Amino acid sequence: MTDAPVLEMRDVTVSINGNPVVDHLSLHVDPGETLALVGESGCGKSLTALSVLNLLPDVATRSAGAINLQGSRIDTLSQRQMDAVRGSRIGMIFQEPVASLDPLMRIGRQITEALRLSGPVSSTEAEQRAIAMLDRVGIREPALRVTQYPFELSGGMCQRVMIAIAMIRQPALLIADEPTTALDVTIQAQILELMADLRRDLGTAVLLITHDMGVVAEIADRIAVMYAGRIVETGPVNEVLGTPAHPYTALLLRTVPRIDGPRKKMLPAIEGIVPEATDWPEGCRFRDRCPLATEICAEMPLLAAKGTESHRAACWHSDRVAEVA
Amino acid sequence: MSIEPLIQVRDLKVHFPVRRGFLGRPGDPVKAVDGISFDLFAGETLAIVGESGSGKSTTGYAILGMEQPTSGTIMIAGQDRAGMNATDRRAITRRVQIVFQDPASALNPRMSIGDSITEPLQIHGIGSAKSRRDKAAELLALVGLQPNAANRLPGAFSGGQRQRVVIARALALDPDVIVCDEAVSALDVSIQSQILNLLLQLQGDLGLAYLFISHDLSVVHHIADRIAVMQAGVIVEQGTVEAIFDNPQSEYTRQLLDAVPSSPLLSPRP
Repeated sequence: MTDAPVLEMRDVTVSINGNPVVDHLSLHVDPGETLALVGESGCGKSLTALSVLNLLPDVATRSAGAINLQGSRIDTLSQRQMDAVRGSRIGMIFQEPVASLDPLMRIGRQITEALRLSGPVSSTEAEQRAIAMLDRVGIREPALRVTQYPFELSGGMCQRVMIAIAMIRQPALLIADEPTTALDVTIQAQILELMADLRRDLGTAVLLITHDMGVVAEIADRIAVMYAGRIVETGPVNEVLGTPAHPYTALLLRTVPRIDGPRKKMLPAIEGIVPEATDWPEGCRFRDRCPLATEICAEMPLLAAKGTESHRAACWHSDRVAEVA
Repeated sequence: MSIEPLIQVRDLKVHFPVRRGFLGRPGDPVKAVDGISFDLFAGETLAIVGESGSGKSTTGYAILGMEQPTSGTIMIAGQDRAGMNATDRRAITRRVQIVFQDPASALNPRMSIGDSITEPLQIHGIGSAKSRRDKAAELLALVGLQPNAANRLPGAFSGGQRQRVVIARALALDPDVIVCDEAVSALDVSIQSQILNLLLQLQGDLGLAYLFISHDLSVVHHIADRIAVMQAGVIVEQGTVEAIFDNPQSEYTRQLLDAVPSSPLLSPRP
């Protein structure tokens, strides 16, 4: 067997009203690994995830590229064919666990519904498996919980239920879009630990969408940093966080206050705002906000190897990144 | 010699009645805030940290008069809030202002930025239309926006710029204290640092005190002088930032600190 990537996106473009908001994006997630797709609001990271699921909002269209799941194309499938992929081969969890669950359906049924989609299963067996899965995701008294409604559970428990629903059919790929952003910090730590456990036990590959470098450092193997619709830097987490080769990555890392950082000092700020897709500058899209920008930045830099083959950044001035932060 | 605190809270309780079912008997009240005491001094930042439901926002609202305390006292500049007449309350309102979490919902989408900023002045009958316009321009400059922003609507601005507008409005009445209720939580990281820098700079320039309500320990570590850790309506520990982070006394504080994602990869370079 070859170690083909679980997910491979090549040159994927997503447009809204003719403007590319995800622009020729390529990435891959290998078996059992967690790739963190990191960026600020509007960089296109969520649209990237939705394009894999073929769940883009109506205004957005995918106009180029190819998406492969375990070696076969899924971007050419019809919605009906994708129904067989979503849930069974790709699991999903989102930011708002409470809003993601049906408020009028008992927890047990929401989990068994996922099971029943994949084929006939007796109700007793389905319930047993739901209870076992709840137990697996760390919910106490699972037999009681399956009879309850989402409002009777805390936000953290709802996210565990979402993970149970996503994982019960043992998908090859889990897409987690800001899975801990709406949760309290102690609950976040528990959910991250759970995700790491499940990945270890079941070998699931994870595409993690997040804006939080703390979360990235905690559970990701590789990282892809997005800015204005493009990946500007990618590589193993320790390399990218240790020696960032793009000034945006470096500034993102330094602009966040740290629990072990200096206090009451001005933070290294990224001036200005993320430009709208209609206002992206020619060439490097970060150049208007970049302290290193020079004339050459009017030309679009390619994602080129920096140091090692797997660590790549799209910047003309990677050698000067240490100056910015 | 002792300095009088700007805000002194003693044994504050805010309980909410709960009815069981339709027309049902009153059940046990929700004890959102259940007997807390703290002081806020001029020019300092006191952070109230806790998880959702700990009562930290309710505490802020009680100080602002947006929630009625069940018992306890809130002294603002030496005056008991409960014993104030309408005139005193107005005067106190000028001294304590608030910045909310979500700048999108904190601004009237149909009101120009200039009108939003000067509405507090209008409500308090301060200045003429002309002097208020001048004040708006001055406040916009103070928070790092162009004076022509005054004529535009909130929709023309990004989240970070709107939060600057909300801060400008909170500054309009020259307050001594700003209650920041998760004021940077909804912002992207690059914008969050811009607003934190602005808050620090304003504190230095204007001598403001902040009651900084937040769930984010890293942010609190950065901006606060002292911290009160809340859990289930009570303060489990309070002290200086150094004391809380270096030597936490309460088990809950330790749990909170342990839960913050930390990696040597993210530590500041020497």
